[in-house]
Amino acid sequence: MLLNRDMRDPALTQRLLLSMLALMLAWPIGHVAGVNPAALVEPANLRVVSSFVAGFWPLAHDSFFLGLLGDAVLQTLAIATVGTLLALLIAIPLAIGSTAALSVTAIGPSPSGLWRPALRQVLRALTLLLRGVPELVWALLFVRVFGLGPSAAVLALALTYGGMLAKVFGEILDSADRRPAKAILAAGGSRLDALMYGLLPVAAAELLSYTVYRWECALRAAVVMGLVGAGGLGQLMDQSMKAFNGGEIASILTAFLLLVLFADALSGLLRRWMANTRKDGRWRALNGWAFGLIAALACLASWRHIGLDLGALFGDRAGSDIARFLREFLPPAHDATLLAKIGSGAVETLATSLVGTALAALVGIALALPAAGRTGAVAKTLTRFVLNLLRAVPELVWATITVLAAGLGPFAGALALALHTGGVLGRLYAEALENAPPAAEAALKLSGAPRALAFLYGALPEVAPQWLAYTLYRWEINIRMAAVMGFVGAGGLGQLLYYELSLFRLDNACSVICAMLALALVVDQVSAILRRKMG
Amino acid sequence: MLTHFRRHALRGLAAFAFASLALPAFAQMKELKVSAIPDEAPTELQRKFAPLGKYLEKEIGMPVSFVPVTDYAGVVEALAAKRIDMAWLGGFTFVQAKLRTGGTAIPLVQRAEDEKFTSRFITADPAIKSFADLKGKTFAFGSPSSTSGHLMPRYFLMQAGLTPEKDFKTVAFSGAHDATVAFVASGRADAGVLNASVWDKLVESGKVDTSKVRVFTTTPAYFDYNWTVRGDLDPAVVKKLRDAFLKLDPTNPEHKEIMALQRATRFVPTKPENYHSIEQAAHAAGLLR
Amino acid sequence: MDLRISALRIDYGADQPGLAGVDLDIAAGERVAIIGPSGAGKTSLLRCLGTALRPSSGNIEIGRVQPWQISRAALRSLRSRIGTVHQAPPLPPRQRVVTATLAGRLGCWPAWKSLLSLLVPQDIAGARTALERVDLQDKLFERCDQLSGGQLQRVGIARVLYQAPALILADEPVSALDPSLADHTLAVLCDDARNRGATLIASLHAVELALARFPRIVGVRDGRIAFDKPASAVSEDDLKSLYASERVTPGEPGATHVVTPRVSATGLPCC
Repeated sequence: MLLNRDMRDPALTQRLLLSMLALMLAWPIGHVAGVNPAALVEPANLRVVSSFVAGFWPLAHDSFFLGLLGDAVLQTLAIATVGTLLALLIAIPLAIGSTAALSVTAIGPSPSGLWRPALRQVLRALTLLLRGVPELVWALLFVRVFGLGPSAAVLALALTYGGMLAKVFGEILDSADRRPAKAILAAGGSRLDALMYGLLPVAAAELLSYTVYRWECALRAAVVMGLVGAGGLGQLMDQSMKAFNGGEIASILTAFLLLVLFADALSGLLRRWMANTRKDGRWRALNGWAFGLIAALACLASWRHIGLDLGALFGDRAGSDIARFLREFLPPAHDATLLAKIGSGAVETLATSLVGTALAALVGIALALPAAGRTGAVAKTLTRFVLNLLRAVPELVWATITVLAAGLGPFAGALALALHTGGVLGRLYAEALENAPPAAEAALKLSGAPRALAFLYGALPEVAPQWLAYTLYRWEINIRMAAVMGFVGAGGLGQLLYYELSLFRLDNACSVICAMLALALVVDQVSAILRRKMG
Repeated sequence: MLTHFRRHALRGLAAFAFASLALPAFAQMKELKVSAIPDEAPTELQRKFAPLGKYLEKEIGMPVSFVPVTDYAGVVEALAAKRIDMAWLGGFTFVQAKLRTGGTAIPLVQRAEDEKFTSRFITADPAIKSFADLKGKTFAFGSPSSTSGHLMPRYFLMQAGLTPEKDFKTVAFSGAHDATVAFVASGRADAGVLNASVWDKLVESGKVDTSKVRVFTTTPAYFDYNWTVRGDLDPAVVKKLRDAFLKLDPTNPEHKEIMALQRATRFVPTKPENYHSIEQAAHAAGLLR
Repeated sequence: MDLRISALRIDYGADQPGLAGVDLDIAAGERVAIIGPSGAGKTSLLRCLGTALRPSSGNIEIGRVQPWQISRAALRSLRSRIGTVHQAPPLPPRQRVVTATLAGRLGCWPAWKSLLSLLVPQDIAGARTALERVDLQDKLFERCDQLSGGQLQRVGIARVLYQAPALILADEPVSALDPSLADHTLAVLCDDARNRGATLIASLHAVELALARFPRIVGVRDGRIAFDKPASAVSEDDLKSLYASERVTPGEPGATHVVTPRVSATGLPCC
């Protein structure tokens, strides 16, 4: 009896319950997400996909299209540049206002009272709001409020990235060496003095480096925002995809990949240059000026190219425009039919994100093993290439292909998420695998365990926490992506938002956006709890 | 050394900020900005508009530029926000524009064909022969704001006792009429509906395989497209624009090309009252409140 | 399982000593202790016997087969009959003790059983018996990262006990244990080998333990066998000359350097 109690696995009940729960949930989730693997191998669908992909060759290269493509590339570059520039203008005051590094109260008792710390909290909340709403949703709104084309994308980038930059800038300033700034403040210098001569010289390199990195991200974001009508390459891609023109899509994708590579190389170059401190001082000074000048010229050219009409934005009519918009937008509608629609949309979006992330994890694992060099050097190079390709193509672009393979509906969205995220996770998984201690697995192989089992018993427990953390982190991103996937016919909250915006029912749209935000926040919380539990 | 570098980086940053703040003032060009609801691929729209734009430029003595848009609602909003001056709108988008401009938008002219416009329901599924067969299928509308691709077909479907959200397996919005054909031809949707004029054009130009995709029913006639200008445009310019359209004559070889591209036999004046029935249909279909 | 080694060489490169020609015959059921100064080649020899290291030249026969001449499947089946106690037990920190112990039989369990065992441990009783012999039965369901270094080393031994291989190779199996526990644990290994008629080869730093527990002692020095005799015949002089280099410079008790063989992640040599 005693022996029996000792031998019962205390984790068994929990494990069985969790497994059963997972299985029980998998069915309805799969059902809501419209999972239908059979559709993927249906000959009719295969024929459609293969004829679509076959249409990729030859690339479209007539001069009219190439002209459009060139314009779109320039416009995308300009959107990213001006967007980052405006984001900087938003972020710098926010970051400076909210950093504790310039706090006078932190030095000792001061007469100015409590309002400055309070102001810092308000600014932090504003930062949170700015980056809480995905740039795609901002873009969608701005397309409506401020009219057409790239301006919407620029403003959307400015707000979201302004929030992101402000947060990271604040963190950089907070963690920078505060002694010089403190010394200046203590000696009676103003905050501006402390900032310019105390804080910035310490943190400038890091701030610049992060800005350049964000610019690179902005470039990808600019393409995705184009898919909702905010100009640039994305808008062109949207047109070609709607017209089913494979050759054009292939050309646009090629241009996009080249652009991303170019941005990658450029930002790498800039960051290397900034990290390199051993050069001759005079050259460095010249370089500093040259860099500033080139960046300024790039911004100027971008600004001209976009023709962002700030006058109209902040002019006399803009106030009434925004007021009118806000009146229609608020308060959010909450009639029963709409709430029911939002409810089912939210469930569909959640299911799409779950299925997408789960499939992505499978794709990731399948590709991570060869990518970590477990099946030879050739397979490693090959899978690394595949992973890069999967990762480089945005989810919304994958969606247009998966919609062909799986038919309209959430399953296509889930597959699109799986392809892009699979590429991201595969790379992260492979890196974790390569960095994990190999001893446990090697020992199992030495005692005759088959390779697969040696992996499951020896290597998987080593990397599992990291893999899980990566997967949950991507789930947080995917819930936001799934919410907008509806724009390409993948259902869920995105389709609802598109529909309501098209019919100018802005109060309904406001409710949908609130639901998107709430869903994203819930997923963030759940993911954080799970990560803490597993960690 | 390090601080030296940072000081220079800082100086670079300052130069960068300064140059970007010294922005050029924007020259306001006196021109007519025109757009169109993207019921077809925007590149196609641009191609179609080019000769008409040149003609209008000559007639009103002012540069005319075309602003491509990928979203129906964007055109309406742009007209309401005075970012464009004239737009080619559908019946429903005109109603939306009228409501959003407080009733000031002026419908200028329409094609003779637009007075009795129809939509075609298409499918590639041999089993679908009537509305009743659509139950449980995936169905593609064009844009949610489209008259012939969404509103009127929905209205007629509802009159036949079908509620799309309830009776169809999936309701999709392809975004444009030619995209709807692509959806149906590729099997992404079991059936769809589009503007009769675009369908006929696609059939004529051989861009659709009629052995696969076929029309299974056509709606009754209704008023559709028109050219609309915003209400506060200089009346002299409005008059010139209307006259320019009405003057278009298919016997004139120069005009013939323009009209062929616009798929118009001739342009006729139109008035807001023509679109009352559409507004009613939109209310009935729950697309307006 | 009997072993036959002749002219075995391992070359790591100029600055690292390997094995410089070793001849050794061990009959089935023998218990042999390998002693010698650090860097003498004890670990290399054991790794060769465990097929973790492919010799540069020479002949090696384990249970009458040459491990580097046979098919992969045959090598795997040979390996499943060899159990290795590692100096640092290679156990994933997040794995539970029961799973880590059961992993000893992955080589002979059918795949479905191994897979199921990840979720529901398949032979809790067997794992418990093995752990009991090293006094760890109360840690059955603990996670490895909750155990001390000495306890982990004993889990590694329990895994080999559970595997019940025909050849046990133990590389410093008790280095992390205090002297009384070390003696007890070594006794458990020796008893297990004697009862099952398995061959046991252990490298040991503690000479007294080796002499007390093992009938046969092999002294290794500079990659060669210095002596190979029954424990009773090992003299003070034998030991003196075996550890001579450590006594040449009395001021530096640990004057030897630990040699880590260059091996790849899979446990196979990279050269």
